[in-house]
Amino acid sequence: MSVRALWIITHEKGESVAVQFSRRYPTVEHRAKFLAGSLYVTVPEDGAVLQLLLTELGLSDPDKPYMALRDDCFHQQHSPALELHVEGPGGGVLWPMLAISQGPLILACLPLVDAPAESRPPLASLFSVSQGLTLLAGLQAFLLGSKGKPDSEGLASRLAMMPFILLQVCPLGTPLDIPQPGASTAPAVPTPAGTQKQPAWKTGLHRGRAVVNVALTEMVRSMQYGNQSRQDLWDVYGTVTCKCEVEGVLPNVTVTLTLPPNGSPLLDVQVHPCVSSLDASILTATSVEDCDSSAFSGPYKFPFSPPLEPFRLCSYTSQVPVPPILGTYQLKEEDNQLCLTVSLKLHESVKNGFEYCEAHLPFFNRNQMGNVNVKVTSGQLDVSKEKNLLVWVIGQKFPKSREVSLEGAVGFSGQLPGPTDPLCTDLTAYIKLHFRVPDMTLSGCCVDQHSVQVYSSAKPRIVTSRELLSSEYYIWNSTGTTPILLRTLVSRSNL
Amino acid sequence: MSVNWPERISAFSRSPSQFLCSTTAEIFLTEILRELRDDRANDLIKVLLLSPLLEHPTLLCPSVSVGEETALELMSVFAQCSPKSLQLRCHLLLALTSVLLCSSCVTSCTSASQDFLDVLFQMTQDTNDLQAGAAVRPLRSTACDCLRELEACHPGLLSQRLELLSNLRQQENSRLHQAYTGLHALALRNAVYLLTQQKGAGAEDLKAALGSSEGFVWARGADSEFHSDMALLSPLTLGPMGRVPTLQTGPDSKELRSLISSLLEESYLLTSLSQAALLQKLVEIVSMVPAVSPTIFRAQLLRLLGTCEVCLLHSTLLMKAAFTDSLFSAEDEAYLLKRLVSLSQHPLLSTPEKLFYMDCILHFPENRPISCGDENLPVLLTPRLAAALVPTLFNDSASMLARFNLLSLVYLEEGEEDRDGQGGRGLAYLYDHLTSLLHVMENQGSREMVVTFFRASFLFLLHFCHVKCYSEDLIQRLCDMYLRQTRLAPHLINLADRIQDRLVESGWALALLRALQRSITEAPLSQLTLQDFRWHLRILARVAEEGEVPQRATLSFLLSVITSNSSVLCVSGDWRLGNGLLGVCRRLLLHPSLDSLLTPLADLLQYLTCYYGDTDIQDHARLYYTLLTTLSREKLAGVMAQGGPERGRQAKVHSLSTIMTETEELTTGLTVHQTEEPVLRLVKLDSPEPDAPEPDSKSHNEANSESNSSPRRGLEERESYRAKLQSPGFVSEITLQYHLTHTGVYDPHFDKLFSIRLHFGLTDSNYEEVSDISVPCLFRTRKPPAVKLRLKPKQPYPTTLRASAVFTTEDGLSWHSSLADLHVTFPEVFLPLPGPLGWTREQKNGVFEEIWSEISSVASKGDLDNGATSLFCDQLDNWAVDKLVRNFQRYRISDCSELDKGGCKVLFFLPPQSHVLLRVLTVEENVQVHIATDNWKLLPYINSYLEDITKDLHTAQVNSDG
Repeated sequence: MSVRALWIITHEKGESVAVQFSRRYPTVEHRAKFLAGSLYVTVPEDGAVLQLLLTELGLSDPDKPYMALRDDCFHQQHSPALELHVEGPGGGVLWPMLAISQGPLILACLPLVDAPAESRPPLASLFSVSQGLTLLAGLQAFLLGSKGKPDSEGLASRLAMMPFILLQVCPLGTPLDIPQPGASTAPAVPTPAGTQKQPAWKTGLHRGRAVVNVALTEMVRSMQYGNQSRQDLWDVYGTVTCKCEVEGVLPNVTVTLTLPPNGSPLLDVQVHPCVSSLDASILTATSVEDCDSSAFSGPYKFPFSPPLEPFRLCSYTSQVPVPPILGTYQLKEEDNQLCLTVSLKLHESVKNGFEYCEAHLPFFNRNQMGNVNVKVTSGQLDVSKEKNLLVWVIGQKFPKSREVSLEGAVGFSGQLPGPTDPLCTDLTAYIKLHFRVPDMTLSGCCVDQHSVQVYSSAKPRIVTSRELLSSEYYIWNSTGTTPILLRTLVSRSNL
Repeated sequence: MSVNWPERISAFSRSPSQFLCSTTAEIFLTEILRELRDDRANDLIKVLLLSPLLEHPTLLCPSVSVGEETALELMSVFAQCSPKSLQLRCHLLLALTSVLLCSSCVTSCTSASQDFLDVLFQMTQDTNDLQAGAAVRPLRSTACDCLRELEACHPGLLSQRLELLSNLRQQENSRLHQAYTGLHALALRNAVYLLTQQKGAGAEDLKAALGSSEGFVWARGADSEFHSDMALLSPLTLGPMGRVPTLQTGPDSKELRSLISSLLEESYLLTSLSQAALLQKLVEIVSMVPAVSPTIFRAQLLRLLGTCEVCLLHSTLLMKAAFTDSLFSAEDEAYLLKRLVSLSQHPLLSTPEKLFYMDCILHFPENRPISCGDENLPVLLTPRLAAALVPTLFNDSASMLARFNLLSLVYLEEGEEDRDGQGGRGLAYLYDHLTSLLHVMENQGSREMVVTFFRASFLFLLHFCHVKCYSEDLIQRLCDMYLRQTRLAPHLINLADRIQDRLVESGWALALLRALQRSITEAPLSQLTLQDFRWHLRILARVAEEGEVPQRATLSFLLSVITSNSSVLCVSGDWRLGNGLLGVCRRLLLHPSLDSLLTPLADLLQYLTCYYGDTDIQDHARLYYTLLTTLSREKLAGVMAQGGPERGRQAKVHSLSTIMTETEELTTGLTVHQTEEPVLRLVKLDSPEPDAPEPDSKSHNEANSESNSSPRRGLEERESYRAKLQSPGFVSEITLQYHLTHTGVYDPHFDKLFSIRLHFGLTDSNYEEVSDISVPCLFRTRKPPAVKLRLKPKQPYPTTLRASAVFTTEDGLSWHSSLADLHVTFPEVFLPLPGPLGWTREQKNGVFEEIWSEISSVASKGDLDNGATSLFCDQLDNWAVDKLVRNFQRYRISDCSELDKGGCKVLFFLPPQSHVLLRVLTVEENVQVHIATDNWKLLPYINSYLEDITKDLHTAQVNSDG
């Protein structure tokens, strides 16, 4: 359950790749050598590892259309566990090289295969794999910082901290913890050991006024086709984030989620490890099978002892009967221009009070827009600077009718070609909605301020909030072909 | 001199081997240690200086002694450190652990490692910061971790200190209790394992171990004995397939049970990573001690099943693999699987986590597994459940392929049930998905998309190649796509190759190649661009490797392209293009249907030779043309296949040219090499088989035999013999038999020789030219082949022949090797009287007498035209005479019994025309050999021959007497 080595690599879209940090664990390597016997494969030097890793990730030689080593169809990447084919004496296959990448960062580690070397064990049977994954994800979160996107200065300073971070979280190759997002090199002033055991995940003790903040965020995804033959899809997932400033080594807090009567049950509930106990009924409902109406629908009690920093207490998914905004989108090609007809209808159960609501209409594989002759019944219309996107700002409220529409024609007489997309060719096009509705959830799930129980001497201040956010909310042009999508909706980062 | 240490250290870390080229490990180590002792250097630099020791201790301390010295140095640095230098002191502990473990100091139980262990243990005993204070807590935590690593590398080291470790863990209330827990759990696990390996160990031993508070257990004697037990270092293979050693304690294991309970209770206080590691250790312990029921984990289960942490859920899965239905009910199992499916597509999870969960589904630890194998779907994973994981165009490549693979396995049964080629709905969805991918890829899809499509196609074919309606449709689509996107040729070739490798029986790859050939050759030439043509050549070259695919279309396509576009193609003389053309030709030269392709291929090559605008291509075309028109099929195949990588695809290094690299091979293939030493020899056969009689002479003889039986002696026979002698084609050859074998020179390269051609050269003019002899093969392991050497003397004298051989070795190379000279001795030229076979002894005798008297009369007349008589005498006893006569066995005309009467008559015929007649008589103690010959020049040879054999007889006689 240890890792043999660890690498942090940065790149810019496959270019200027460099190993920024690496760490080898020779004592683990010592064990690896013994366990693998004659099948032992040495970990090459950083330069070679980098090259092999890029080949496996399909990032090497970006200018070559085909490379047998990189593109062989037989070579099924069993991501996140890659095989590195090390050449030369002592060479062989290094497996399982775990690699995760986000933006300009690639993090990789080589877990110790602590099983006899004769035959390769299934990935799922290697305990060190999930340990390695957790460690990598933790390091990634730390390096990317709170924004999830690294600025080069921040990244450089955090990279410089790596030796000290690893001293705490993985000193000798066995991961013990993941770095706290705000970790610094200066050791925190340790709290004196008391009579009660302090959780290892709690970096210190809070002193002062007790405040408990519980925020419920729900995201709604949708794929609407405006087509009889194709069923529209939508689903909801939610997270409850807490920040608890409560005194004591192991204070008890309970947060309860409730659903309105006849609300559909919360599915796929997952909890933070600080939740101390769970009722079996909370876990039973899953999104992958139809749930019956008699299923448990709350209240959902989560007793826990909070860590100092904000954390995600739990998450769930839900299947709601209607999408919040139902839309249609129709395109027609006429006289070298596109005729657009859009209508959006806000469902009556949704609170008509947005923080923002925008519809984005991108156009791909065409020249830049020339004349735009489009009228909207509500809100205002902007053309993006790049002249390939219409932004319809609907604003804070739908009109009383709860319906807005857009009509008009767009010519693509611009000189420069617009962006390309392999999916959105011809009349395949979509509208993407971006909105936020404060103080509501689609599932009806809520955290009542009074239901938050804190067992401590001082009476705490309790703040709760909720919001609904759109995420991957697409309305496809009904006159074009649309990509097939069954029940699942999965993130599509390039749209 | 100030050294830029950060730069040096980072240069070392980047590439230790390169760094150590400019200095030695020894010097570098000395420099590091010196700098570490320098008070002026700050802590940050010192921490940096430790990193080479921390990461590459084996490079810097290659031996126990160096390791020991280094460790002593580091310990003294540690002792002298300012108490405030926490980071440095922590790193020193880590470096010491690395050095001592990796340079085998711990194995050898050196004094430094013993001291170090004592230091560590001392530090860990300061629980709750009572002595050193909370400030040095990180040091204590590091010390625990160093101890844990020592125990991990040397299992059992702490097995006699379990009680102390347990107490320390329970006493500690700061966050450091996690470090103590990890240490205690590992030591406990190793101690229990060691007990299971101890014969007859039971409850008492376990109790004693748990209460032990003795010293360290240094590897008992040899390290190897300790380490030979793999299970000590690796977790036990748990689950239905794994065999776990057990410790029989009876029902009494209260201490252990309470220990595990207390560890489990506090597990909640650990970080997820440590918690998972603890669970894993406890699972192992409980599996080894049957007295502790797995239900001890029950209380933790719900918390673990609901967790969002991948490492905790994973340890739950491993727990399930270990305890199956003794901890997990059927409902739990169904729930866990559903959980995995929903997590595999959960919007809040990262892609690596989702992929890992998908892998967990493929290796789901079922309570009652039906089979065990690589990737097996759990029985509970119904198509309905798996529908949540259907691949979509919105997936990233890795997820898409993982889903495609999983769903292919789910729908495999649909494909199986439906062999008539329809497939079910799920299959239809997958195929739809594949075609959508193809569509997207064609719309300026990125390189990644292209690769993903081909990988998905490979997966689809791997599972559903037998479902005709899809696999055939796919071929059609791929061909259509290819004509629009010829740049995808390498991918198509790769797909064909892989399918051919994996599905040997299926003809899909062949069908694809055939269809591609058809598409290329039937497409209108007017639309052909130069770029397309380059890719076409790649495809056609691959098609030409298939013996079963007719190649006429390819050739006529190529011919029409280069002749019609000659102004562009040939005149431009693009070397790479020409090379591509030759690549196709080269493969066609090897094609089994080459005979039928001869004319068009020759035309093509000739055209290239004459008109192609690049000299190199012309030359090669000419070479191929020459090879095609002059070499035999076999030799051509041998030459062309030389060194040619198997289908050119296993070769990792793609050379720029298909011809350039082969030129050398070609030369090798076409050159006759010279062996350094003779590898072959001819060994004379002792008893030559008599020559088969000529059939016509036999029948003729039989017809005559009646009339010849009349007592009219000699004259008639003599006449007919004389007539025969004059006739052309009369026996004029001698045949010598040899075995062709290897010489003593042993070279495995020459073990198997083929197409051996033996050539003989004359050293005088007494014989006609000897024709070559062919031997099909010679294997060292088989019986040597017999070789008949036919010699046609002009003069029947002994001679010497020069011999040489040309042959082919197994690898197709041709060799020339000279053989030792072949000596033809005088007696080897002898033939018996070549009269008709049916002649009776009387008849032969008649001829003998006739010739004898003829020669005698001529000789007596002094008419020494050719004939001559002579006498040879020697003293021999009866035995020797008997032997002597036996030498003439084949040539005797009369019996030995006549030795003392008319003499034993012997006639040697020496082709072409000569005779030597002998009468051997014994006169008292002497033997007289009367000699008559019709060729007096033979007399010296006869003399020395007789001398030779009598000399032998004398020596034999002496030997036998002696």
